[in-house]
Amino acid sequence: MSERKRTFKYFTIMEYEEEQEYLRSEHKRGWRFLDVIFPGIYTFERCEPEDVVYQLDYNKEGRKYMAEYTQMFRDSGWEHICDFVGYSYFRKAVSEMKEEEEIFNDDSSKLDMLRRVFYGRMVPLLVIFVLIICPQLYVQLSFGTIVGISCFLMYAALLLIYLIVFIKCALKYHDLKKKVR
Amino acid sequence: MDAHIKKVYVPMTETGFYILLCLREERHGYSITRKVEEMTDGEIVIKPGTMYGSLSKMEKDGLIHFVREEEKRRIYHITELGTEVLELEKKRIERLYRNVKENWL
Repeated sequence: MSERKRTFKYFTIMEYEEEQEYLRSEHKRGWRFLDVIFPGIYTFERCEPEDVVYQLDYNKEGRKYMAEYTQMFRDSGWEHICDFVGYSYFRKAVSEMKEEEEIFNDDSSKLDMLRRVFYGRMVPLLVIFVLIICPQLYVQLSFGTIVGISCFLMYAALLLIYLIVFIKCALKYHDLKKKVR
Repeated sequence: MDAHIKKVYVPMTETGFYILLCLREERHGYSITRKVEEMTDGEIVIKPGTMYGSLSKMEKDGLIHFVREEEKRRIYHITELGTEVLELEKKRIERLYRNVKENWL
């Protein structure tokens, strides 16, 4: 068995482009991506350094028909690697491409993917998050004790962080939407 | 025709148009990609993320329907609604072409 390594990297749900670049640069350094598990532990295997493009797709419809979904990608030369938090990971060597390729060929379908991520995951997560955190904020504040206030501040900070991530994602989605329509 | 359908598909993206056009025959995704590549002399190569996303979306919107599966490939065919939408797009393109020819060339 080849030498393996594990790294910890945290990418938010909308940072799939950064994640794609990370996996590509690792492969260029001789590390082939194998698997990723919660909360962001990536496993790599030693290999010949090669320029390989990594692409992430978010498609719940695809997940319903996994064999057919991966077959479509295989037909176009994309190898399916694994799945994680709703995303499917694919790769294709640059040497097998005529010119730099992605799994989307127009902005419209890229926007569709973003929309699926945004409404399929980000919005529901925010709703759940708010529904859990807000009562906590109220309860902790109503205690009026030092512990209560600190808990309140901690929950408030968590909510703020999540809101910031959400807003960044919403902006990214909005920018691409303006570019396409 | 649904207002929603009109809003999303009129006008259509070039990729969407070629997919619907090819699905006047029963085809699966990769067969559409190859046909479009041939029709456009290699100019338009529909990638799998776009193809799968478009086919799922069109199926949900009733523009195409699933026929059968062959060797892990889902075969689709255009519906009556899809043909209606394609007709609208065809008229729009013909008008565009006519005006280009009359006012430019």
